[in-house]
Amino acid sequence: MSTYEIKLRVNGKDEVLAVRGDETLLRALRRIGYVEVKLSCEGGDCGACAVLLDGVAVNACLMFAAQADGSEITTVRGIGTEDDLHPVQEQLIETGGVQCGFCTPGIVVSAKALLDENAAPTREEIQRGLAGNLCRCTGYKKIFEAVSAAARQMTEGDDS
Amino acid sequence: MSTRVVGRPHPIIDAVEKVSGATIFINDLELPGALTGMALRSPHPHARILNVDTSDAERLAGVAVVLSKNNTPDAPFGINHKDEAAFCREKARYVGDEIAAVAAVDEETAREALSLIRVEYEVLPTVADPFAAQEPDAPLVHDSVAGNIANEFHIKRGGVDEAFHAADAAFADDFHTHLAHQAYIEPTGCAAQWHSDGKISVWGCLQSVFLIRTFMLGPAMGMSPDDFRVTQTKPGGAFGGKLDVKAALMAAMLSRAAEKPVRFMMSLEEDLIAMRPRMPVHISLESAWKRDGTLAGKRVRIVAENGAYSSLSPAIMSSIALRTDNLYKTPAAEIQGKLVYTNIIPSGQMRGFGNVQATYAWESHLDNVADGLGLDPADLRLKNYTEKGDVSLHGWKIASCAVADATRYVVEEMDWKAKRARGGKGRGVGLASCIHVSGNKGFSVELGPDDTDPSSGVVRVDEEGKVEIWSGESDLGQGATSVMAYIASEVMGIPVDRFKVPPTDTGYMPFGMGAFASRITLIGGNAVKLAAEDARRNLLDAAAESMEIPADELEIVEGEVRAKALPERKMAVGEVVRRAGSVIEGEGKWLAGGDVLDKEKYGNPSTTYSFSTHGAEVEVDMETGVVTVLGICCGHDPGRVINRLGAEGQVEGGVVQGMSFAMMEGLAPLEGHLRGKNFHDYLIATSMDAPPIEHDFFESMDPYGPYGAKGLAEVAINPITAAICNAIYHATGGARIRTLPVSPERVLEAIEEARM
Repeated sequence: MSTYEIKLRVNGKDEVLAVRGDETLLRALRRIGYVEVKLSCEGGDCGACAVLLDGVAVNACLMFAAQADGSEITTVRGIGTEDDLHPVQEQLIETGGVQCGFCTPGIVVSAKALLDENAAPTREEIQRGLAGNLCRCTGYKKIFEAVSAAARQMTEGDDS
Repeated sequence: MSTRVVGRPHPIIDAVEKVSGATIFINDLELPGALTGMALRSPHPHARILNVDTSDAERLAGVAVVLSKNNTPDAPFGINHKDEAAFCREKARYVGDEIAAVAAVDEETAREALSLIRVEYEVLPTVADPFAAQEPDAPLVHDSVAGNIANEFHIKRGGVDEAFHAADAAFADDFHTHLAHQAYIEPTGCAAQWHSDGKISVWGCLQSVFLIRTFMLGPAMGMSPDDFRVTQTKPGGAFGGKLDVKAALMAAMLSRAAEKPVRFMMSLEEDLIAMRPRMPVHISLESAWKRDGTLAGKRVRIVAENGAYSSLSPAIMSSIALRTDNLYKTPAAEIQGKLVYTNIIPSGQMRGFGNVQATYAWESHLDNVADGLGLDPADLRLKNYTEKGDVSLHGWKIASCAVADATRYVVEEMDWKAKRARGGKGRGVGLASCIHVSGNKGFSVELGPDDTDPSSGVVRVDEEGKVEIWSGESDLGQGATSVMAYIASEVMGIPVDRFKVPPTDTGYMPFGMGAFASRITLIGGNAVKLAAEDARRNLLDAAAESMEIPADELEIVEGEVRAKALPERKMAVGEVVRRAGSVIEGEGKWLAGGDVLDKEKYGNPSTTYSFSTHGAEVEVDMETGVVTVLGICCGHDPGRVINRLGAEGQVEGGVVQGMSFAMMEGLAPLEGHLRGKNFHDYLIATSMDAPPIEHDFFESMDPYGPYGAKGLAEVAINPITAAICNAIYHATGGARIRTLPVSPERVLEAIEEARM
């Protein structure tokens, strides 16, 4: 199997790595330490490995790392960390939209992608925006509330 | 009693690390030099193993060790029956049964090694149907178990034949539930590290770090439970499935043989075919009634599908058989249960521990009864519910109960009377109730040290004024450790954000049974409350010395010890600890109430019981059979809410998980082979399926609970399946779903049946 040297910019940091042709972006990211990108179904069903690829939410398990050469990747930790949380993360905390936390990194990524496109989504639009992210703990209700509240928080933030 | 923390909405205490992706789950845990462990699993439901040749695999470069029956001792283990082994010996009994395991330098080498293991099988006839399995000429799953009966019982109580003889009306129904997986998003995994002194450290997404040592690791490896230090990594969901985790045994055995650390991470497919999904069951019900809707007696016959190995299944069957009799005043009952071995994945415990199945059947049956008697289904229930102070037919002592309040709320909130009057035109409403334990003494005997069902806690205050709680009870994401922090914060007068509760660890934490049977809030919560009270006393004693004020004249407010009469005389808790020269601790231990059931299954298995009522409104397309859940309304009696956000999360998550079970899930075994192998075969509710949910809590203030609280996790899921099925019955003018899941085909069949 051929190996390729690829360059990624992950959460603002340049990474150069050698990947095999069959290594998924998910596996490559985890191998170099971005374990916040979660490994579960590896078939594009659960969304736990969602990342932003040049601003677009993708399942990192569904593409080869080599295909991402030259791309900018944003994981949940590129969206916000403990000391500098994104409104989506703040509202997931405040509304109780996080329980076990395993799907949460993917939820944050999909919600950020949704709000980047649609600053004031309806409940139906939020449902659709998160349709690729499975959550087994919360029943989704509080996640919807969190995304709505984050949208309001971000819009109000723009006004000020 | 007014509270500062308890009852209010709080984020879980580890929410920040979780939303920022900082939580280390088992697959994120790095162990330097770790090998990759992987299992070879049987492709056959039933086969004699003639030979396992691992020589080529052993010779492959990068392979450290290959384990199979050839080089491991014959050490059977099992909770009720010693019917399992680490690796198949004479036979493979389900598709997924472990034949061998390898530890290698990386995943690719491990996978190649598995492909080099040559197994000679003699394929045997599959035992797939639990009724055919009981026929005299049926093949045997375990050669020594006649008739494939893993367990059976027959109890009769209260003059049931007389009750049926004297009744005004009697009704009968049969129901069948399906094989459904816990479907947590995090696949199960464990890691282990052998140490040169012969001890082994194990890490994993486990519900009980203490018990897995005693029921699995110790006996299967011929070691003492104390030889294992088991540390929990935060589970990415569990729902019962991560109680009985063979991956821990695989990792530990491979690590001991290789004398190196080993990571054993299951793929989602392996998880779906080789863990312990919810037990399928056939339930036949008969009930006898007085004309006015008073329950006179019932007969229950259960045939439960055990699958290949037994584990906790006898207890699950017992739970299915007896549970609903305690929700209503039941004067007489006859109950027969049979647990049958088959060549299907071993079934097991999932949120509800059989009560999801039992409640689906009984509460569906009740709506048929209401129809037959010409009574409103809510009124029928309200007439028969158990009440505080009752001792049930089976000896359950009801210490607190607000189920009637929950039902009245659902009736009012759903506009029940008006909607019931309008049914039969493709739109309808239904409701159902349940009772559940908060801990179960039976488990304490089967799994634990003795019959005490104990929990213990340590609360440690450090010189920074931070508080750490050590409890042997685990958080699965449900917020259990947060509940402990809120309780301790309330007791100690120290703000919630100063508290930390690490994942469970047998290495230094006090004993706890773990997260199952909705036991943590009541049992673990009481232990931590006592520990917090002890720590508070010790803090005040230390402060009394430093501040030269008697302890009884001091209080702790917002993390400061203050003189009650002179609030300006104060000292931060951290300073009190510093001046006392050491950490200040408190200890607490709480033993559950109730008793172990006798041979006739009579007794009070839990300290107290929780209740709920779920209501559903559905739309049924009468042409296609497609059902849409328009909304769910429910009321819960968790004794008292400790954390409102967490309690709401349990309810909303439980209801949607239950709806998902009812409507779309199923491993769909066909002759022992499972269909569900990924989340595109095994469907669970997505955001698109999530219905609007309205709900509220009815606090019965339990006399034994910490601040009156009891369990909530399982009452949040049990009734919703029946509520949906009863709504379908109402919407369609009598289509009764007797087999789950509710597929459009089944709905159409039921509509057809109702027309005949």
